[in-house]
Amino acid sequence: MNAHYAGTPPPADWRERLAARLGQRPRRIGVWAELALYGARRCLDAAGLDVLPAGALLRAASLRGPMQATREAVEQGKSGLPMPFTFLQSQPCQALATLSVALGWQGDARFIACRDRELLLRMAEREAERHGVLYGWIEEGAKPSTEWWWIGAA
Amino acid sequence: MKDAYIAGSGLASALGSDLPAAIEALREGGVAPRRFELPSGNAWPYHAIDDDCADWSARAERIVRRVAAESGALSMRDGPLFVASSSVDIGARELDRRFEHDMLAFADGVQHWLDWRGPVYSVCTACTSSMVALFSAADCVRAGLCESALVLGVELRNALSVGGFGAMQLLSQRPARPLGAARDGLVLGEAVAALHVSREPAPWRFAGGANVTDGRDPAGIVPDAVEAACRGALASSGVVPGAIDLVKLQAAGSPSGDANELCALERIFDPLPSLTTLKSALGHTLGASGAAEIALLVACIDAGVWPDAGHPLDRSLGARLVARTPERLRHALVNILGFGGGHTACVLEASPR
Repeated sequence: MNAHYAGTPPPADWRERLAARLGQRPRRIGVWAELALYGARRCLDAAGLDVLPAGALLRAASLRGPMQATREAVEQGKSGLPMPFTFLQSQPCQALATLSVALGWQGDARFIACRDRELLLRMAEREAERHGVLYGWIEEGAKPSTEWWWIGAA
Repeated sequence: MKDAYIAGSGLASALGSDLPAAIEALREGGVAPRRFELPSGNAWPYHAIDDDCADWSARAERIVRRVAAESGALSMRDGPLFVASSSVDIGARELDRRFEHDMLAFADGVQHWLDWRGPVYSVCTACTSSMVALFSAADCVRAGLCESALVLGVELRNALSVGGFGAMQLLSQRPARPLGAARDGLVLGEAVAALHVSREPAPWRFAGGANVTDGRDPAGIVPDAVEAACRGALASSGVVPGAIDLVKLQAAGSPSGDANELCALERIFDPLPSLTTLKSALGHTLGASGAAEIALLVACIDAGVWPDAGHPLDRSLGARLVARTPERLRHALVNILGFGGGHTACVLEASPR
């Protein structure tokens, strides 16, 4: 079945809900990756899936990405070296790594963004034909959002 | 399903402003890395493009325009453009402190520089960025959605990448020694590379590829995932391991990373095919490395010029690097691995001449 979760915005206590769902607080990941994890988990739960099925694709997109961690890492770099975890959190791919572990899955994950969201969604749908795709759009900041689609195999 | 070919390529790197210059530099033994000094005073070797213009954006525009033109892709600007980078334009943000731009602003700028009319995508999966972009571009061409696409791998000077890798203690203080007995870390570099992907037959066909994310080691290489990526690339190409004549390794000079990659390859190949690595020549160009190393690999094959390792290899790895083009070279496996759990591999097939 297909499923959609629109945390636009997510509930105020989304971090507590995520920790409750996972049984622990995610460690050493930034807010952007945590938002991604919350939305992806909610979407898979809506689809009745505990793990992301083998062979499925994972696609994440964002306009601003992990900007908070990026700014922090740049600021830290002015006077010394950035903190390793801050630097890691500035990379969108760290969210993909986090999702891979949390969703019990190894496979084709991409961060790919485009101003035309419909185009990106159509690309994901086309790629989903064989095994399905979990596709999400995540924004942190004053108006956080995490919106995800599970599009099952055709 | 249609075929996708590498119709043209372009590269600006520490080896030179274009591919002929890079080949000439390799003939002469390569170019020694410079030093990249951070505001904090920390410094590491760095393979810099020989262009000291202080205006980050003007420099980026000049280099991107030249490299895209070298690939031949600008004759058709209606297909998709994939701008792939790990650091995007953070080098400019470090200078102007204007963080209000979103992540697509740089891709918008590239679109404007190239007067590109087709859709523009921004791909950011750290070291595998331009390889993943190549897969997406090839998917579009093979699905018949477009006649051609352009992949641009862009990794230009910035303190965040150097400082971040330095903070994680992944960098060497000496020139990179991929597979070397005394390897002790990576040496970063900058590059802009273009791959013009087209359905028009060309000397190299993109036969297939695989992208495997495995987050068990978010800053390193997972052997199971390397094996899965290589086997996936072979399967999607319809090629058996024995048909691979050359492997372009990731081999960035990391003590554990190089060993893990070889360990995975030994599970697939017996014996190992001919091997090469380009990182002692280019440095690790992060998100640009996929496009940069494919562009340089094809140029090396065409010219019969290969980088000299220049250091003693780790005999325990059992790897031998090619010094000349293998006698039979129909299929090449290209590995790009890295950071963030990304593991990619693709197969390039030489068209019959």
